[in-house]
Amino acid sequence: MIDLPDLSKINEKYRMFSEIASEISTDAEFAFSAKDNLTAVGFQARAGSAILEGYRPLFDAACIEKMRSAGGFLIGKTNMDEFGFGSFSMNSAYGIPRNPYDTERSCGGSSGGAACAAAVIDGHVALGVSTGGSIACPASFCGVYGMAPTYGRVSRHGLIDYGNSMDKVGILSQDAKDLGKYLPIISGDDRRDPASCNHPPLQKRFRKLRSVAIVKGEASAGVDAAIRSAEEELRSMSVDVETVSMDSLRYALPAYYVLASAEGSTNIARYCGLRYGRQDGDLSLKFDDYFTKMRSEYLGEETKRRVILGTFTRMMGFRDKYYAKALGVRNAIISEYKSIFERFDAVLTPTMPFISPRFDEISGMSALETYRADVLSVPPNLSGLPHISMPCGYSEGMPVGMMLVADHWNDDILLSAAEEWQKRFDARRSEVAI
Amino acid sequence: MDRETVTKVARIAHLELTEEEIELYRSDLEEILDYFRVLDGAPSSDGLLLNPVEVSDVLRPDEPHMEIPADALLADMNTYERYVRGPRVQ
Repeated sequence: MIDLPDLSKINEKYRMFSEIASEISTDAEFAFSAKDNLTAVGFQARAGSAILEGYRPLFDAACIEKMRSAGGFLIGKTNMDEFGFGSFSMNSAYGIPRNPYDTERSCGGSSGGAACAAAVIDGHVALGVSTGGSIACPASFCGVYGMAPTYGRVSRHGLIDYGNSMDKVGILSQDAKDLGKYLPIISGDDRRDPASCNHPPLQKRFRKLRSVAIVKGEASAGVDAAIRSAEEELRSMSVDVETVSMDSLRYALPAYYVLASAEGSTNIARYCGLRYGRQDGDLSLKFDDYFTKMRSEYLGEETKRRVILGTFTRMMGFRDKYYAKALGVRNAIISEYKSIFERFDAVLTPTMPFISPRFDEISGMSALETYRADVLSVPPNLSGLPHISMPCGYSEGMPVGMMLVADHWNDDILLSAAEEWQKRFDARRSEVAI
Repeated sequence: MDRETVTKVARIAHLELTEEEIELYRSDLEEILDYFRVLDGAPSSDGLLLNPVEVSDVLRPDEPHMEIPADALLADMNTYERYVRGPRVQ
């Protein structure tokens, strides 16, 4: 297990942790980290936000409770976009994690710190959270395996919510076998999470992947080449591969941003400089003025953007045009996925349309351009479908990920596919200087 | 999307924006809402579900109880004689 001096040194270089443990037990069976929007006793839970500075929760999130019970030692909280609002982990008040393959590039987001920790630390398992692709995207950019399970399979008790109808706790690791080892540990019914359902339970004997439908999408030449090569490799593994089209996918991204912003804006309403985190405002102000001043000062640029967008789409006169419409689109997309799953075990796309961009490239993107980066990772998240990003190639020296999506509750097929894939695909390790 | 609408929505959300922020968000939201227009031609379906999978309502029993001691909850709060300090009501 990594020791504290090495962990501190690694974190100085890559900034994947917003907080690390004050001491590390060498007796623990395994080390793990948790995204900073999961509560853990002994750590702050700030979700990348300055407004939550000083918030020390008094209880463990359900997934952390289970990992600790299984013998795990929590070595730190990983950096993330504020409240999960972002695809590049640049929207954090606590530093920007650096991609281990090129420190001038992004780790992806919003679980960027988790993917970086998984890529850099030997034998490490990182708990991440996905709302619209926040596990798959950073897994792809950092060259690790990342799994988001079926919506409801893992309890969100102790999660600082972003979009309640899409939030899922999942796992990232260099080793595909870790996903199959730890997902059963964190899965299960939990009455403390109203969306927890876990039915049917995760199969103990994972079923084999037999057929894949490839959905072509817009991607860079380097990503396309890696996917084509993966397609051939899958065929050589006796997996039936066929190309299909999914017309409804073009509506997934706007539907996602309507629902996620609407839900996110209501969730952020509770952060006002009183109940959680910072409480150091001017108490001589009136209630509304105090809340407004604290939120205006301590919420970040992207959070404000999504709060304004989400509040607007929920306003009288716009609700049917945006929110209700997006709910209908989600149903239509789920139906189209289901019709494909009648013939295939999984749907395959690139995880991201491009390799990890450089920070200077991201700074030049408009808000909408950054949202468009999620075009491939949003559909399964919107639909609550289990999905996994697996490293499948390299372009310009940077990792490329492919994403497999399975039907609700068929998480086991993805876990077995990842284990089989790992035997075939020789993933590179980033060079890590300690 | 105009500046007045951005300011009004921000006020509802308890946000006070600078002049630069109003212009930034006006411009961004105009572009984003324009992109959302693709939804006008999207297929829809009956019976809107709030979640992507069916979940049963899980309500805890309506029994008062304290999971965490009050003193522990107050330890990190800004308090005066075990009351949480807050801004003025009037």
